[in-house]
Amino acid sequence: MPASAKLLEAGSELPALKKTITQRQIDCYSGVRPQSIHTDVEWAKAKGFPAPLAQALMSTAYVSQMMVAWLGKGFVQGGKISASFIKPVIVGDTLTARAVVKSHEEIGGRPHVTVECWCENQQGVKTLVGSASGFADHLRV
Amino acid sequence: MIEFKTISYEVVTVGEEFMSDDFLIKPEDVETFAFAVDDHDPWYCEDSPYGGTITHPVLLGNQALFMRHSKYIVPAGLHAKMQYEFLQPIRVGMRVRTHGKLIDKYEKRGRHYMVTEFATRDEESGTVLVRGQFTQMLFPKSGVHEDARKR
Repeated sequence: MPASAKLLEAGSELPALKKTITQRQIDCYSGVRPQSIHTDVEWAKAKGFPAPLAQALMSTAYVSQMMVAWLGKGFVQGGKISASFIKPVIVGDTLTARAVVKSHEEIGGRPHVTVECWCENQQGVKTLVGSASGFADHLRV
Repeated sequence: MIEFKTISYEVVTVGEEFMSDDFLIKPEDVETFAFAVDDHDPWYCEDSPYGGTITHPVLLGNQALFMRHSKYIVPAGLHAKMQYEFLQPIRVGMRVRTHGKLIDKYEKRGRHYMVTEFATRDEESGTVLVRGQFTQMLFPKSGVHEDARKR
């Protein structure tokens, strides 16, 4: 049994990912333009933020990274993410993406797994909460 | 000719449709995305079980999110929720386009939200690659959002 298969048990935690977000990464993700809360410092401040915000969608990429590394094809074809962005992420923040197996079942005769996932910043404040799921018949070792 | 209006809760209409520009996925797009999210999985950079590389499943999220920019001037907004369903692997060389529809708008605790469903297709085959829906909060006319003060 590959090590990743053990993670199917409810309550198991996937390996966490840690990401410190730089302005250059935000620029690459969002595209640089003036009057953007993501890439224009002065505009972000004018909108009331202390610094440019990372686009919320960047955090879904971290969830996707965890799921692809684990489920592989079972996430690429048939995977889902449902996320709520509950706190802004500011340039320089270090996010930790985490996921815990919530349930597993069979769908169409295929093993299927759902995780509860979240991202938290360096202060332990959750910035994203949600769930992700996919088929567990092509686990990557 | 599109007459761009500044987006607001009052101006958007439930049922109105959106469409992105078409977009050719290039190798440099995948490299840039990999750098942006620090995810250099060999499936995106070297080879995958699909025979050749694929892209990050979430690569095209911004194409969906920015559809409204094709109709409106969007001074700022906050993304509240995102739902993705990944149906088929996305590959470099595909020309893709996203269609969407505003399915709801609502007010909650004095804030305005719009909900858009979307589907991103490979233009050549018509295959749906990704679908889902997202909720965006519209900034108030004052331009400064209450949430900004919480950091």
